[in-house]
Amino acid sequence: MTTVLAICVTVMVTVSVYLMLSRELKSIAMGVFLLGHGANLAILAMSGSPVLPWGGLRQPPILGGEHLVDALPQALILTAIVINFAVMGFFLTLLIVTARKTGTLNVDELAGEEPPRSSPELASEPAPVAGLETRSVAD
Amino acid sequence: MTNHLLGLLVVIPMATSVVSVALVGRRRPQRVLGVLSLGSMLLLSLRWLLEIRDGDVLVSQMGAWPAPFGITLVFDSLSGLLICAGLVVALGCYVHGFSTLSPETERRYFHPLAQLLMVGVNQCFLTGDLFNLFVGFEIMLMASYGLLSIGGSRRQMGQAYKYLVLNLVASTVFVISAGLVYGMLGTLNLADLARIVSGRVASGEGLPTGFVAVSVLLLFVFGAKGAMFPLWFWLPDTYHTPPVAVAALFSGLLTKVGVYAVARTFPLVFAVGEARDVVTPLLVVSAGVTMFLGVLGAVSQHSVRRILAIHVISQVGYMVFGLSMMTTAGLAGALYYMVQHMVVKSSLFLCCGVMERHTGSDDLDKVGGLLKRDTFLGVSFFVAAMSLVGLPPLSGFFGKLVLIREGWGIHWWLSVIALLTGALTLLSMLKVWTTGFWLPPGSETSTPTGEPGGLRGAYVGIGFLVITALFIGLAAEPIYDIAFHAGEQLTDPTVYIEAVDPHGLVASLGGSG
Repeated sequence: MTTVLAICVTVMVTVSVYLMLSRELKSIAMGVFLLGHGANLAILAMSGSPVLPWGGLRQPPILGGEHLVDALPQALILTAIVINFAVMGFFLTLLIVTARKTGTLNVDELAGEEPPRSSPELASEPAPVAGLETRSVAD
Repeated sequence: MTNHLLGLLVVIPMATSVVSVALVGRRRPQRVLGVLSLGSMLLLSLRWLLEIRDGDVLVSQMGAWPAPFGITLVFDSLSGLLICAGLVVALGCYVHGFSTLSPETERRYFHPLAQLLMVGVNQCFLTGDLFNLFVGFEIMLMASYGLLSIGGSRRQMGQAYKYLVLNLVASTVFVISAGLVYGMLGTLNLADLARIVSGRVASGEGLPTGFVAVSVLLLFVFGAKGAMFPLWFWLPDTYHTPPVAVAALFSGLLTKVGVYAVARTFPLVFAVGEARDVVTPLLVVSAGVTMFLGVLGAVSQHSVRRILAIHVISQVGYMVFGLSMMTTAGLAGALYYMVQHMVVKSSLFLCCGVMERHTGSDDLDKVGGLLKRDTFLGVSFFVAAMSLVGLPPLSGFFGKLVLIREGWGIHWWLSVIALLTGALTLLSMLKVWTTGFWLPPGSETSTPTGEPGGLRGAYVGIGFLVITALFIGLAAEPIYDIAFHAGEQLTDPTVYIEAVDPHGLVASLGGSG
C-alpha cells in the first residue's frame, strides 16, 4: 500500500513540476494544485499501511477495536485540503481578473514593464484568452 | 504559567475582520474598529510582556487538552517581543493608510484583510506546534495575496503571481515536511519534539533517518518566506507595486515571520546533533551573501522604494547572521535586531509614502529640497535612516554591536562583512537623504499629485513609529534583557519544554508514531 502511495506521489509531483515550468499561468495554477494533492497523499502515507502485517485491516477509531488507524495525519490532510481549496479559489479568481484586465495569461507578457500597446489586438479591448473566455466564466 | 487569555490575540483581529466585512463601504466605522482592535491587542501584549520580563513563559492549552494532543499557544520572551513590535508596526501603518490609501482601496477590503494578516502573524508567533505554524503562515499569506492584488494594476498583477506561486510551493513543501516529521517522531508539538530529539541525541540513539533532509527542507521553506539568499528574488518587486501602507506593513511583518520560524524551530528541534553540522554552514553562507548582495543591490538603485525594499533583504542577512551562531548572545542580538528593524523599516516606507504624495514620484532624480518643505518628514526620515544604519544613540547600533561582537569570536569574516554592509547602508541612506531632502530640487522635478491637505493620519503613523524606534534605542537595556532571556531559552530549552509540555507523554512512549 505504501509503495502504491509512493508511486502516486512521485507521478503527481513530476507532472506538477512539468506544469509549473510552463509559461502559461493556467498550467502553473494546475501544477500548484496538483502539488498540493501530492503533498496530501504523502502525509497519508505517514499514517502507515492500513493493512496489518498478519492480514486484516486497521479499524477507524470511531469503530473501536484492537488495531486503530492513526487519525492525526487525516486531520492534517483535512486542514490542508481546506486551505488548498481556499487558495485555489483565490488563484482562479485572480486568473479571471487578470485575463479580463490584461487580455493575457502568459508570464512573459505580464512581466513586461509596459503593456505592449503596439500589438493591434490588445489596443482596443482585451482579446479573449483561449479556454478562458472573458464573458462566459460562469460555465 | 497558564494564561487562558492568550487566544485573544488571534480572536480579536479575527472578529474585527469579520465585522469589518459587514461594514464594507463605510470608512469611518471600519477605521475606528481597526484602531480599537490593534490598540487593545497592543496594550494586552505589552502587559503580558511586562509580566514575563524575568523570563517566565505564558502558556495556554486550548480546550484544556494537554500539550501534545491539543493546540498550545505560547507567549515567551521571543514571541512576546515580536508580537509587540508587530502590533506597533501594524498600528502605525494602519493609521498612515487613512491618508495615503486611495478611497477605493480603503472602501473595498483593506480593513478586513489587514486584520486577517494580523490573525496569521499573531498565530505564527504564538503557536507551539509545527502544523499550526503552517496554518498561521497560510492565513497570513492569504491576506497578503489579497492586499497585494487589491486595486489590481497590470504591473501589480504580474508581480502578484511571482509571490503567489513561490509561496504556494514553499507552503506545500512545509506540509510535506510536517507530515514527514510526524511520521518519524510521532508528534508535531515543538516542546515534545525538542524533548524527543534531545533525548535521542543524548542517549546516543541518533536522529531518525532522513531527519537532516527534513531540516534542510524546512530551511528552504522559511528561507523563502524570509527572503534569505538564494530565495529573495520575489521581494523587491512585491514591495515595489502595492500602496505604500501595504508595502510598509509587509516590510515590517512578512519576512520577519520567516526569520522567527527559523529562530523558533531550529535551535529547539531541527538544528540539534548532526543536523546542526549541516544547517549551520548553510545559514552562515546565506547570512553573508544575503547581507552583502542585498546592500549592493540597494546602492545601485535609484528609486526610494526599491532602495528600501532591497535593504529589507540585506537586513534579513543580519538576523540570519545572529541565528547562525546559535549562541545565547547571538540569538538575543538577532531578536533585538528584528524588533528594531521592523519598526524602523516600516517608518522609512511610510516616510517614502509621504514623499510620493509631496512630489508625485519616488525617483531620486525627480525629488529634492523636501527638508524645507516638510521639516517633520525630513527629521523623521533622518532619524529612521540613521537607526537603520546604526549610529550610536539609535536602535540599530545596539543590535549591530551585539551581533558583531559575538560574531567576532565565531566567524570573524562575517563580522567584517557586517561592518562593510553597514558602511554601504550609510552610503545609500545618505544618497536618499542628500538628493531627496537636503539639496534643492533638480530641473526635472515632477509636480505633486495628491491634494496638499489630509496628511494628518500619515504624520501620526510616522511619528508613532519613529518615537517607538527612538525608545527602542534609548531604552535598549530593558528590551535587550528580554531578548537575552529569549536567547537563553533557545539555547537551553528546558524552561520552554517544562512550561509547554510538563508531562512528556509522547516522549515517554519512545517517540514512535
